Amino acid sequence: MTDVLDENLDDANVFAGNEDAVDGDGHGTDDHGHGGGHHSSLGLSNMKLAMWLFLGSECLLFGALISTYLLSRARFIQELLAGNPNVTSTMPDFLVEEFQEAGSVQPLFDIPFTSASSFILLMSSLTMVLAHKAVHEADYRNSKIWLSATALLGSVFIAGQVYEFTAFYREGLTYTGNLFGSAFYTLTGFHGVHVTGGIIMLMSLLVLAFRGKLNQDRAETVELVGLYWHFVDIIWVLIFTIVYLIP
Amino acid sequence: MTTDSTTAVHDAHDDHHPTEKQYWVVFVILGALTALEIYWAEAFREPGGGILVWPLIIMMVIKFLLVAGAFMHLWFDMKILNGKLFTWAFMGALVLAMAVFAIVFAAFEFQV
Repeated sequence: MTDVLDENLDDANVFAGNEDAVDGDGHGTDDHGHGGGHHSSLGLSNMKLAMWLFLGSECLLFGALISTYLLSRARFIQELLAGNPNVTSTMPDFLVEEFQEAGSVQPLFDIPFTSASSFILLMSSLTMVLAHKAVHEADYRNSKIWLSATALLGSVFIAGQVYEFTAFYREGLTYTGNLFGSAFYTLTGFHGVHVTGGIIMLMSLLVLAFRGKLNQDRAETVELVGLYWHFVDIIWVLIFTIVYLIP
Repeated sequence: MTTDSTTAVHDAHDDHHPTEKQYWVVFVILGALTALEIYWAEAFREPGGGILVWPLIIMMVIKFLLVAGAFMHLWFDMKILNGKLFTWAFMGALVLAMAVFAIVFAAFEFQV
């Protein structure tokens, strides 16, 4: 797998018009000294520009998911408060009563638990930038530590999300039961899948690091994974406030 | 490129990225804002479910900007890219996307 990743990295450098970055051993040796790729006429390396474009498309995806969630929740609450049997029959009576009494879906959420998850993800963003800084400064020992810490914190976050989903399902909120359940699980589930994708990227970097192939020339590769990871963190900042804190 | 000029590029690159201490400061601010958000959401929740939403949104935006600006190096890259096409393309797309979402929200009306 890492050989394939290795070749892909070299191919990416060649594609970016940065043939000088690839030597016989597959190690980058470009003019910038960081595998920085060729700077495009836009003033940014092609690889970084591609990542920003990808993140732009991700903004649209999550923008649509968050909008759908807000609209679905508003409609769900309206119909719940009006006592629409098509909605109230989709959940256990105690949950319907709790929602109606509060006038929102907030009683479902365990805010202290989700707050801890949020803090863990924020902490993983810090360890990610420290990993990038360590690779950039050729501090390979610390780069392994920070990358491992980031992957571990991401895994803890995912474990928390699995626990949360299980708890909500046991309380009676199912994916296909009603509009709110569908929108909630889709939004937070998509985010969870993105975090899982980020963990896989981090594990790949770790394999490269332990094989001695993650050197200073590839600092930009770590930065690109970092950009993705921070983006996922930013999305959670939005989800935490919009979904969990604002009724 | 000569060794001297390579070193110069290294130095320029370093100048445009935060120090480790700055990263930690940003993290502490993010943690404090998260704690404040939770306190605000719990302390100012009214029995009917109402809450003072705007402070939460402002804190969320500050956290968004801190992560994007410091951790994603946007503040520092923007210094390099200031006035270049990427900046205008990025800002233009951002404004367009926000306008589209605002129009979508404004277009919805629920009837029970």
